[in-house]
Amino acid sequence: MKVAKTIYQQGARRWIAIVRDPERPNYLIDTNEYVVVDGGHALLCDPGGLEVFPAVFGAISSEVDPSRIEAIFSSHQDPDVISSLALWLEFNPRMKCYVSWLWGGFIPHFGGTASTFVTMPDGGMEVPVGGSRLIAVPAHYLHSSGNFHLYDANAKILFSGDVGAALLPPGTDGLFVENFDQHIKFAEAFHRRWMGSEKAKRDWCERVSKLEIDMLCPQHGAIYRGEDVARFINWFDELEIGCLKID
Amino acid sequence: MARSGITQDEAAGQLRRLVQINEQIKAVVSTAFKINLMALNAIFLSKRAGQAALGFGVLSNELRQFAVELTEKMAELRSLVAGSLRGVTDLLKHARNRAIMERVDSEAAAARASIQALLVRQRVTLDRQESEMDVLHRRLGLLLDEIGQLVELGGVLARSAKIEAAYGGSFAAALMQVSTDFDQIIGVIRSSLDALEKSESQEVYA
Ligand SMILES: [Fe+2]
Ligand SMILES: [Fe+2]
Repeated sequence: MKVAKTIYQQGARRWIAIVRDPERPNYLIDTNEYVVVDGGHALLCDPGGLEVFPAVFGAISSEVDPSRIEAIFSSHQDPDVISSLALWLEFNPRMKCYVSWLWGGFIPHFGGTASTFVTMPDGGMEVPVGGSRLIAVPAHYLHSSGNFHLYDANAKILFSGDVGAALLPPGTDGLFVENFDQHIKFAEAFHRRWMGSEKAKRDWCERVSKLEIDMLCPQHGAIYRGEDVARFINWFDELEIGCLKID
Repeated sequence: MARSGITQDEAAGQLRRLVQINEQIKAVVSTAFKINLMALNAIFLSKRAGQAALGFGVLSNELRQFAVELTEKMAELRSLVAGSLRGVTDLLKHARNRAIMERVDSEAAAARASIQALLVRQRVTLDRQESEMDVLHRRLGLLLDEIGQLVELGGVLARSAKIEAAYGGSFAAALMQVSTDFDQIIGVIRSSLDALEKSESQEVYA
């Protein structure tokens, strides 16, 4: 089963990470889901694939009443991100789904109706959770052509989708990055292959380095916190990407 | 929590069966098209044979009418099968969602309470879809019976044409050839239809 771990709590605001599922069928890539709670309201970031729905739903239910989830934030269109959409909508047909305008016509193939989707313009937008406002930060081409991260200025948390992802070997299932140099080895091949645009990467590094970030939370692998956040941004800035060679 | 009446495997089996039926319908339709052309030729032939082939001419007209009716019935069958395909696809989707929600129910104790209402809603939807599929299934069976009777009639017409051909005077040999072709092609339709009925009545809930 997956477990729900509270990674931030201040008053009524809470971030919960849904992590590690040792019992998952091993042909599926492991994903992290994040729930942002503001009092009686909640938003779910990258709800994950169809197959992991029972584990995600179960883990969330152990911490939050899932009927409080009013919206889904879908960083991009990948199946490991959003293929469970139809199931969430079956649970709550009024749930909204925030997604790049670019994918507005594609994601409905996973489910939902015209009233489900809130399409985000390229420049990003505010995403409400209860009384507070989070910010959808543009991260296009990293790796998806229509891609957003989600920033919470109060919690100083950036949900970074596939950026910062690491494919960790079995046994390394800590919630946070503990040894950056060790950890980043498992992130390197992923970023080199999946991230395609040097220019987009530069833009992103510049954009997020202006934000105050205590925790950078990727969709795969461990969470970067404290000084590891800047370490990661610098590492990514210098990494050569989008250069697959076929011999 | 009771399991839904139809499993994903059963729904997938129905889907394969319907695809098979659809292919078999195509075969019958193209044969019916051939009969139509043959009947038109036979009508011309009997006109040329004149007085000697009056009876044969009447039967050729009947056979042409038969080909037209068969084509219409097959079109009806095809749209019924298309409707069933949509229904089964929908059922498959719901059965899959249902199976996942049942996993929530059995694997995630903490979530059990919050999905009870959903499981009831799904049960109602699935029951409705299953009974709609039952209705379509029965209509398909009735239509196939009607088509079977029509083809029997076609067989009688072809055999009668064979008998009439003998009175065709100098055209007797040509008319006999045509009516033998009719008989054969209706034989082909009959066996396609038998196969179709077999696919249709396959035990899908086994
Ligand atoms: Fe992705
Ligand atoms: Fe991903």
